[in-house]
Amino acid sequence: MQFNRREFLGTSVLGGAALAGGIGFAPDVRAQQMVDTLQMFVPAAPGGGWDGTARTMEQALRAAGLIGTAQVTNVPGAGGVVGLPQFINQWRGRQNALMVMGMVMIGSIITNKAPVNLSTLTPIARLTEEYLAVVVPAESPHRDMRSLVAALKANPGGVSWAGGSAGGSDHILVGLICQAVGVDATKASYVPFAGGGPATAAILGNQVTAGVSGLSEFAEQVKAGRMRLLAISAAQRVPGIDAPTLREQGVDTDLTNWRGVYAPAGVNAQQKQAMITLMERMNASAQWKEECTKRDWTPTFLGGDAFGTYVTNEFTRLSGILKTLGLA
Amino acid sequence: MFSLRWPQVAVASGVLLLGLVVLWQTFQIPVSPLYARIGPKVVPFAVSFGLIALGLALAVQSVTGRWTDEAELQDEPVDWPSLGWLGLGLVLNLTLIGPLGFVIASTLMFVCVARAFGSRRPLFDTGVGVIVALVAYLGFDKVLGINIGAGILEGLL
Amino acid sequence: METLAALGNGFAVALTPINLVWAAVGVTVGTAIGVLPGLGPALTIALLLPITFKVDATAAFILFAGIYYGAMYGGSTTSILLNTPGESATIITSLEGNKMAKRGRGAAALATAAIGSFVAGTFGTVGITFLAPVVVEFALKFGPAEYFSLMVLAFVTVSAVLGSSAIRGLITLFFGIFLGLIGIDLQSGQPRFTFGLPELLDGVNVLIVAVGLFAVGETLFLAARRKHAPEGVLPVTGSLWMSKEDWRRSVGPWFRGTAVGFPIGAMPAGGAEIPTFLSYWMEKKLSKKPEEFGKGAIEGVAGPEAANNASAAGVLVPMLTLGLPTSATAAIMLSAFQSYGINPGPLLFQTQPDLVWGLIASLYIGNVMLLVLNLPLVGLWVKILKIPEPLLYGGILIFATIGTYGISQSPIDLVILYVVGGIGYLMRRFDFPTAPVIIGMILGPLAEQNLRQALTISQGDVTTFVTRPLSATLLAISLLLVLLPVIWTLVRRRRA
Repeated sequence: MQFNRREFLGTSVLGGAALAGGIGFAPDVRAQQMVDTLQMFVPAAPGGGWDGTARTMEQALRAAGLIGTAQVTNVPGAGGVVGLPQFINQWRGRQNALMVMGMVMIGSIITNKAPVNLSTLTPIARLTEEYLAVVVPAESPHRDMRSLVAALKANPGGVSWAGGSAGGSDHILVGLICQAVGVDATKASYVPFAGGGPATAAILGNQVTAGVSGLSEFAEQVKAGRMRLLAISAAQRVPGIDAPTLREQGVDTDLTNWRGVYAPAGVNAQQKQAMITLMERMNASAQWKEECTKRDWTPTFLGGDAFGTYVTNEFTRLSGILKTLGLA
Repeated sequence: MFSLRWPQVAVASGVLLLGLVVLWQTFQIPVSPLYARIGPKVVPFAVSFGLIALGLALAVQSVTGRWTDEAELQDEPVDWPSLGWLGLGLVLNLTLIGPLGFVIASTLMFVCVARAFGSRRPLFDTGVGVIVALVAYLGFDKVLGINIGAGILEGLL
Repeated sequence: METLAALGNGFAVALTPINLVWAAVGVTVGTAIGVLPGLGPALTIALLLPITFKVDATAAFILFAGIYYGAMYGGSTTSILLNTPGESATIITSLEGNKMAKRGRGAAALATAAIGSFVAGTFGTVGITFLAPVVVEFALKFGPAEYFSLMVLAFVTVSAVLGSSAIRGLITLFFGIFLGLIGIDLQSGQPRFTFGLPELLDGVNVLIVAVGLFAVGETLFLAARRKHAPEGVLPVTGSLWMSKEDWRRSVGPWFRGTAVGFPIGAMPAGGAEIPTFLSYWMEKKLSKKPEEFGKGAIEGVAGPEAANNASAAGVLVPMLTLGLPTSATAAIMLSAFQSYGINPGPLLFQTQPDLVWGLIASLYIGNVMLLVLNLPLVGLWVKILKIPEPLLYGGILIFATIGTYGISQSPIDLVILYVVGGIGYLMRRFDFPTAPVIIGMILGPLAEQNLRQALTISQGDVTTFVTRPLSATLLAISLLLVLLPVIWTLVRRRRA
């Protein structure tokens, strides 16, 4: 599935006159344009997190004058595992091309025992992080993480956790929490729901003991007093987020849902450096910062080989916990 | 009255075979230590047993002649040439849509389908087919921005 | 009164010329994409998301809501005329609708679908306006145990479509459940029946199966018996419009469909398909002419069509009151909220009253627009049936192909479409009913997942289904529905 948004907006019936009068970004300072057409590969359906990252990148890059235009290709399926082989084989050697990916893809490669991995691709940068949150229903007796952990230790199966699909990031965090407090992770009553909506509904309806998902999924419910936020999964306190971390409450673990970009296999050092510089400049742009704030993404830029090492470490760490859970 | 009808037996065997394939594939489902209680295999097993049992019941019906239809269509002669043209159209579309692109592959399918339904004007059908396929293609590509792979004809646009 | 004043403000927002234009564009685009199989409102809105960078939030949501409602209207058109459902929620519509079209009553079927959609959409919107907080609290009482019991209840509806032989009906039901099980198991993360193909990890799309079974299967079937039993479509006879009797028979189903569709749509795991099953079953049971079902009963179009539109309104209830996305479309609309820096949640009504009430008002307006747009088109649509057979079926297959291949570009999806089409042909020839495949495919996996979720929460205690009052009630109703006909026959036999 290839969605060519630029063309869409330019030529569609809807696009024409009605949009022309709309409010666009008004770039004040035009930077040096680095790339004419940036090709972006999104191994997920339109509308999801990676797709949103790609589209936001396109907007920020264009508004900052760093690129002329961008073309987005979506190949959805199985946490990126359907699209990944296509990016590895058919996009080999292409310059000015980036694939959006993230922690979820690492998990998916491991749990689906995918025949391909990221080793041949070119790491460019980690762009954003989102933190996971542990919440309980408003009616819950648990006021903090210690109380929930005490209940978990007393009866591991008696604490039911709502979250996303088995083996996904929410499940991984529950596994890490169990490991950190010395409970057998396979004994936990983890209840996978099909997406954030049904999981949130189960927590609001007091159907489960606790819930784990991305912080933004729960933030409004917490603000309205319908859920209690016990902890976030960041390594340290995050400025602007009024919640203690797991580590602060004696649960010695952390996990972030990071997103980043890779260039295809077989690009030369010069092309690789050009993409890293492009991402560095985007990260420094006001437009990108503004969009990240709107979307509750924390921009934690990590470029080039440092990112590659980070991904390798994540791979090892996630493999470990997923093996414990019996999913790898 | 005893009447053994081979097509019926074949259908019943097909159902049985499906049940067995489901059973075989159910054994292939890996089970993690997490969900020993109600694992991923329970419902697949139920489905395979259901299909096998129902397939057997159907086989008995077909052998003993108790398979009755409201419409009694199964003894009707099949118009093989028409079905053949249609099948050819689908196979052509499936094999050519990648290498030649949507418009050419779908036009060929259109001509074959028209032939299956008794048309004797291949040139006219080709013309109509190209137009229908092009309209569909342009609708996806230009209006919605979904680029469904460039074939030979699409590349000219 | 407060609500009415807020709604009044909403109309003031929605009735500005520019927002009216957006609503009109939305319903037109929605109708168009609803007609195409495969292209649903979720994908269309996702493709339109870049608009959020260009227009203000109210306009964007009025556009999106128009597309969402419009798709529900448009989806029924091809279901009725061509037996090719454009949306999964209109699959049931094709059962009776296409039979009506073949008997020359396509216009009446389209009209009752359009008016039923209007009635349901309008009453559903009234429901959003006045009942949203109540409905959402009720919906939250449904946990996995309750959903499982609701699925059990919904399985009873299979009895309405089993056809002439229970054995063959159940075979197709199990076949549907099997198709629904393909893919990664949500509860354990393990792949099932994927045969090593990564394309199957996310499962098989129910719409591809429906289009394969109905459209491709029927095309094969008609081609195979062309020489021996040509089955032409009867020309449109009599009045184009609905007769007095059509009206009389449609009004009840419209309202009952609305009553079923709205609350189930509002449930976080309810969906739009289940209410159509329930409505179809209910109308067949209540009809004075149940023998007409399967041959083109207008109630079987009016009820399910109302049910799917009411459920579309229902889906907006948790979205607007709690910020909960309970369908793919709602999820994408919520991500559009985020690109405006608006965080949808329980406080949305307080923080964004103009947006929310403008959106609700635009739903009323959109419904009127859709009726005005669709009723005159009925006469035009039925002319499709006058296209000569060779061109008509060629065209249907082209649209089925682009709807399938265009979305995924996966040849595997095309193989599934054609293979299922071949199976659909055999099913017709050997008198297997096709509808249970769809019901099994939708209900089977849902029932399984909810069963396992409920048992994980209860730590394996199966009494959870009968000790929870709502769940027990639903199970009791299902039991009654199965037993009542049996008891009824016994009583009558004893009397006689």
